[in-house]
Amino acid sequence: MSSIHKPEDLRSLKPRLQAMVVVVMIAFTILLGRLCQLQVLDGDHYARKAERNFVDEVIVEAPRGRIFDARSRPLATNRPAYTLYVTPRPRVMEESDEPGAPRAGTRVPIDDDAIEELTSLITFVDDDDRAKFQGAIRSRREDKVNGIYATAIRSNLSWEEYAQITARESSLGHWVEIRESARRFYPRGALTAFVTGYVGEITPEGLENARGSYRPGDRVGKTGIERQWENYLRGRLGKRSRVVDARRRTVADPPPGAIAALPPDEDPIPGQDIYLSLDLELQRAAENAFEGVHAGAVVALEPDTGRILAMLSVPAIDPNHWQQPIPRELYQEWVSSPFKPFIDRTIQEHFFPGSTYKVVSALAALSDPTFDPEREIPCERYVRYGGRRFKCTHKHGPVDLHMALVQSCNVYFYTLAMEEILTLDRMEVFARRLGLGERTGLGLNSEVKGRIPTEAFEAREGTYQRGVRLNSAIGQGNVTATVLQLAVLYGALANGGRVMTPYLVDRIETHDHKLVFKSAPQQRAGLEPVANDDRDRIHAALIGVVNDELGTAYSERPETVTVAGKTGTAQVAALDRRRKKKKDDDELEIEGWDTTKDHAWFAGYAPADQPKIAVAALVEHGGVGADAAAPIVMHVIDTYLASLEQQKPDQARRRRPAGVPPPLPGQRRPNDGVSNRPELGAGEPDEDAPAAEEEAKAE
Amino acid sequence: MTLGTPPSALGRIARDVDWFVVILTIGVVALAMVNLNSAGAGTWSGKVMSQGRWVVLGAIAAVIVGALNYRVVYRLAYVAYAAGIGLLALVPLIGIKRNDARRWLGIGDYQFQPSELMKVLLVMVLARYLHDLPRERKGRPLDMLAPFAFIGLPVAFIIVQPDLSTSIICILIGTSVIALTRLSLRTILTLLSVGLVLFTLGWVSFMRDYQRSRIDVWLNPEAYADDEGYQTIQAITSVGNGGFFGRGAGQGTQNKLGFLPYGETDFPFAVFAEEWGFAGCALGLSLFLCLILWSLNVASRARDRFAALLAVGVAALFFWHVIINIGMVLQLLPVTGVTLPFFSVGGSNALTLMIGIGLLISVSRERKR
Repeated sequence: MSSIHKPEDLRSLKPRLQAMVVVVMIAFTILLGRLCQLQVLDGDHYARKAERNFVDEVIVEAPRGRIFDARSRPLATNRPAYTLYVTPRPRVMEESDEPGAPRAGTRVPIDDDAIEELTSLITFVDDDDRAKFQGAIRSRREDKVNGIYATAIRSNLSWEEYAQITARESSLGHWVEIRESARRFYPRGALTAFVTGYVGEITPEGLENARGSYRPGDRVGKTGIERQWENYLRGRLGKRSRVVDARRRTVADPPPGAIAALPPDEDPIPGQDIYLSLDLELQRAAENAFEGVHAGAVVALEPDTGRILAMLSVPAIDPNHWQQPIPRELYQEWVSSPFKPFIDRTIQEHFFPGSTYKVVSALAALSDPTFDPEREIPCERYVRYGGRRFKCTHKHGPVDLHMALVQSCNVYFYTLAMEEILTLDRMEVFARRLGLGERTGLGLNSEVKGRIPTEAFEAREGTYQRGVRLNSAIGQGNVTATVLQLAVLYGALANGGRVMTPYLVDRIETHDHKLVFKSAPQQRAGLEPVANDDRDRIHAALIGVVNDELGTAYSERPETVTVAGKTGTAQVAALDRRRKKKKDDDELEIEGWDTTKDHAWFAGYAPADQPKIAVAALVEHGGVGADAAAPIVMHVIDTYLASLEQQKPDQARRRRPAGVPPPLPGQRRPNDGVSNRPELGAGEPDEDAPAAEEEAKAE
Repeated sequence: MTLGTPPSALGRIARDVDWFVVILTIGVVALAMVNLNSAGAGTWSGKVMSQGRWVVLGAIAAVIVGALNYRVVYRLAYVAYAAGIGLLALVPLIGIKRNDARRWLGIGDYQFQPSELMKVLLVMVLARYLHDLPRERKGRPLDMLAPFAFIGLPVAFIIVQPDLSTSIICILIGTSVIALTRLSLRTILTLLSVGLVLFTLGWVSFMRDYQRSRIDVWLNPEAYADDEGYQTIQAITSVGNGGFFGRGAGQGTQNKLGFLPYGETDFPFAVFAEEWGFAGCALGLSLFLCLILWSLNVASRARDRFAALLAVGVAALFFWHVIINIGMVLQLLPVTGVTLPFFSVGGSNALTLMIGIGLLISVSRERKR
């Protein structure tokens, strides 16, 4: 054993120690080399990588443009809302040394307990809704690629849901996040349902067609103005970037270097506000007039301009329903309803115009030089033709054209048809001249054209029978039209024969009230005007309908104003078949909904000498036009004229058409209004704007 | 050196103490504490202060050990080793369990890891044993078996805790000490290949899954970016994000915003690299390098074999910790729990390192000048 007390000669250890020094030097050189590579050579690369960690660019939704009525009362606005975001594969950020436990930074899919806990904080409309919610999270959880991102799982949280989730946020963990957003709100509900339309989540097909201009989950206009003017209403998204920590929470006081690395913010551009020509009070009056009616529609417009004043189809679904999950039961109820609440009866459905079509037949007859309107034709309650009896409502006795219209005599027009004064082709010319058989150009809700048969059409369709000409002469057979078309037609009769293109949008303004677009009245192009004499003759007859003691709508005439108009009672197709069926199976009968009854029409305008409003109304299975439809029209006319009277003393200047310059050629093309976007502020200086603002404030 | 009056006791200490070691230690500790403050919650609170207390405690231990004649250490080596083994044996019985691992003994409010202390005790006992071997006798198998038994005994205790990292460190330190006097180049190579075979066998059969996948993750972290690879990726990103001059103290986004986990324990160097950049890293590395090279220098000028072995042991203690930890941060080595001296929180570790510094000072006082 060597002593510890004596110094030793350790020269023999030198080589070993030198070897150790070499090993140490080599090891440290490797470390330094690697540091040099990471920090000096690739420093920028890793700096970018670090930025990607903490820079979070959030898309800022642009507030959607609002929709107002003619007096700036809101029909569609935005309300603050909360959207629930879930990251189904979050990173664990707790540091744990436990063997087997996930290390910090590991992505661990949330467990079923966590989903259940979140589910328990939300109120669902039914079990389907709940299953859909959980299914969305679960399927997202299985998705390794997308599951790592926060996804909007449920929008428009209620206050209770918001409060419950926020209260439990820390116990739930950082995979749950609530972000502020906006929800669409329609303050008038079903009243303006078909006009405003509604917004809903974009479909996968829509997303594909949009080629990147929309994101999944975006809400877009589905129907109505919301859809037609989507490009104006949507605005432009903004971008805001923030510094987030590893839990994706905003950092209150980030290091200055981090702030400097943020890309610049882009403010969203709010969507543009749309001011409609629609008068909310008139719309409500129309709705009141439909009280007790299951299904029907009415359109009121200004004859001189084509401005739509009221446009209502009942029944309608409150568009606010589409802003949240719809219980399956409720949806089933809508789908199976005999009243078809999804259909806009003003433009999406076409009906036999019935006797309201007789004005077309009359004009067609007047164009025949051999036709004498004063000639009286005896009505014996029916005529025989081709072995069939064509009936009339009464035995009218001898009637000339005027009285035939006033009393709505069918036999008169049957006879003209039998005498070949009224041919299908001649009637078609005049029907088209008055705007039938073509879309009106409103551009809303996939408008239907209606149908005006010609000889060729009947031959092609194989529906040609010898009696078809007779039926067509009284608006049956294969003749169909929409309520809007009839309103336009009677508007044309009111204004002296000009068919106007109807429009709903009065003007569009940016959020800071710069005028973007202003509608101007426009006559339908390419239509030959109606001869003045002929128009006057019809006009006189229409006054007679309401004001002549023999007139079909005499009982409905209002006291204050002279109305001109025409009743119509349209037989329902296959009515006989239905009658039979009804006998066979004992359907539950709905009160006021007798499917054996005819559709009731009334179309007219007032005041007769200087028309301010033209209205067409249809009541499905309402029976006789004078009883069911005429009161509705009269109520609308009354309400509107009374409101005009009220405004006259002080607001005359604000009303259209005063002060509105005549349209310039090509200034407005309603059919492609969306793409034909005028330059900002290119329109006329808007005199109405200040008044509109005042009223908006007063709201 | 001036002739004349003999220096006073204080003057003698001032003359004999290895100020180079003291200054290097203070330098490393200062950087480490500043960095720990960044890595933790900041504002010199909580973990930073408790670590500070351990460092102070360690410094006192270092002063005491440094003041001792290392012959005392020589005499106590076997006793101390036995006591250390005794403490290790206590751990499975009364140890404190944290996160499924039983590594700690509780002493009042303090918790202590005997396995840490074992590192320095192992150096002592090996130095004593190797010093005592007759110089002329060479290559006897039994003489070689004993030192490995000294290593194997504590490692057996530590590996069941389980604590793989400390086991590996103990083996590396012990082997380094033995390598100074006893191991021929052939033996070292043989040991290396045996170790490799054992490692492979162990990896296949014995190692737990999480340890095995660490190797896969190390080789290809991007493939495990959502799992264990996250740590490695973020560590590399933090280091690279530092650039040449660093982001500044407390300004590293990776660390401050929580993207880099384990910044206080296993990855403090990533925090340091992000905030101080290449310049800071070069400084920190050179402090460690100087300490290690100086220890080897002290060993080469030691008065006797025991002193030389102690100095090499201290050098190995720092060297392996620094290389394995920083190597792991820089993705040169797989992720393990090996700490960075003074930078990682851990009281027992700091105390052990300080005792090592004390031993170095003690040996250095009597070096040949």
